[in-house]
Amino acid sequence: MEYVVLTVVLVIVLALFFDFTNGFHDTANAMATPIATGALKPKTAVTLAAGLNLVGALLSTEVSKTVSGGIIREDRISGGVFPSIIFAGLIGAICWNMLTWLLGLPSSSSHALFGGLIGATIVGIGASAVNFGIVVSKIILPALLSPLTAGIIAFIATKLAYAITRRYDKKPDGRDGFRMGQILTSSLVALAHGTNDAQKTMGVITLVFIAVGWQSAGHHEPQFWVVLACAGAIALGTYVGGWRIIRTLGKGLTEVKPAQGFSAETSTAATILASSALGFALSTTQVASGSVIGSGLGRRGSKVNWGTAGRIVIGWVLTLPAAGIVGAISALIVVWLGPWGLALDAVAVAAVVCGLFVRSRLNQVDHTNAVSDVAESGTAVVLDSDPPLTPRQERARQRRKRAKQVRGAAQKSQERAAQERSSAEAKGDRP
Amino acid sequence: MTIDWYAFLVVFVVALVGAGVLVTLYALGLRLLVAAGRPPVVPPAEFPDAITVLTPKQAAKAEKKAAKAAKKVALSPAQQTLVLALAYACFGLCGACVLAAVALLVFG
Repeated sequence: MEYVVLTVVLVIVLALFFDFTNGFHDTANAMATPIATGALKPKTAVTLAAGLNLVGALLSTEVSKTVSGGIIREDRISGGVFPSIIFAGLIGAICWNMLTWLLGLPSSSSHALFGGLIGATIVGIGASAVNFGIVVSKIILPALLSPLTAGIIAFIATKLAYAITRRYDKKPDGRDGFRMGQILTSSLVALAHGTNDAQKTMGVITLVFIAVGWQSAGHHEPQFWVVLACAGAIALGTYVGGWRIIRTLGKGLTEVKPAQGFSAETSTAATILASSALGFALSTTQVASGSVIGSGLGRRGSKVNWGTAGRIVIGWVLTLPAAGIVGAISALIVVWLGPWGLALDAVAVAAVVCGLFVRSRLNQVDHTNAVSDVAESGTAVVLDSDPPLTPRQERARQRRKRAKQVRGAAQKSQERAAQERSSAEAKGDRP
Repeated sequence: MTIDWYAFLVVFVVALVGAGVLVTLYALGLRLLVAAGRPPVVPPAEFPDAITVLTPKQAAKAEKKAAKAAKKVALSPAQQTLVLALAYACFGLCGACVLAAVALLVFG
């Protein structure tokens, strides 16, 4: 019994630590764009993001129910073994998250979590314990479709924003005002992040409670203290992660204009909020990246940098299986060595986290080598410094050209007439 | 394995409509502000080296241009007030849309 209690406590601590790293890792998703366009000061942006992540985490529990009540078949798991397996899965997720963060590889905290959990469950209990139908319909398909959805919406929104505010008379177009609007939209993204990402760890903790019998299997709603603890952990991580945002400014997003940033954030927030309402566990990093690419393409004369885009997509595709493999290895150690395996896993994750932290302190990090996944996606779109004209602008240019030609011809004919007159006068003056 | 494709369609349509309405209303509000002779000039909150969006000199130039444009508005004072009211109504509707979305998420 003590072993089970100890394992559950370890799972809660590790889940909250994962939530902290998730907030730390994803602060840039909500706030990189408004900082890049100068809509908010970095410190204000980070504080706002932390507060709204906390509020967002308290608003909905649909995603948490998906995690606790769908991915793993509760009838195939036992209270004695399952908490250790979840622990192994969390180790896989944290290790992959920290490693990709240090190496600057594109990754998703959410997919690392799901990959770790699925990998550990397959090795620790068996493939039959994983509900692959739910995994495909609520995790894999949303993962594939959400960046595409956000990208298409951001593309349309950017076109709309530019079309409505475009002026043809060279007078002020008021697009500067989008900078003010970005405070609203980036706040909405931070809120949406809380409604989706904080829920995942709530779901994991609830799943463990159900497995050990501390919560009824028919009741997947997370307990209130779990909601509060997860919300606090993600908010704290978001606040602490702020310094990293300041370092990421030099990368990728310097070309983002306020109208584009506003559209990208609106698309990100709308996609995440609609998905959260239906219980889809998305990767907010992927949605925000899809929006930044879509909004970049929404500007005239932009092209996709397929090399960078491909690297980002490969990073996304690799996250689930890679975290799954780390989770599976951790679960294998637990299965072979029992409680000693659990201790070994705990020591291993502590060593990895400390090692990566020390390594990150050794490297002098500045804006030239810091990486944010969302900021990196900004480089996936190449913008033309001299974009092609819109059809209306082209027509206006043709009109101006024609008017100039007509003026030139009239001036020439006047000059010719004047010349003829003066030569005629000269002839007339001659005796 | 049954996949609820309808749910994906719902997410796409709801997100598209939500984002479209918000962007349209906000952009329309800005357009009306410009029409009323009050083009907003919002300089960046900070000017770190990495940001090349707008320098203080450019911001001052933009403010000057906006003030010049405000003097040349072809609308009568009454029309100007009406257009301004419409602009603020657009921004108000934007805020209402956001609150409605959050309420839908919490109570829906």
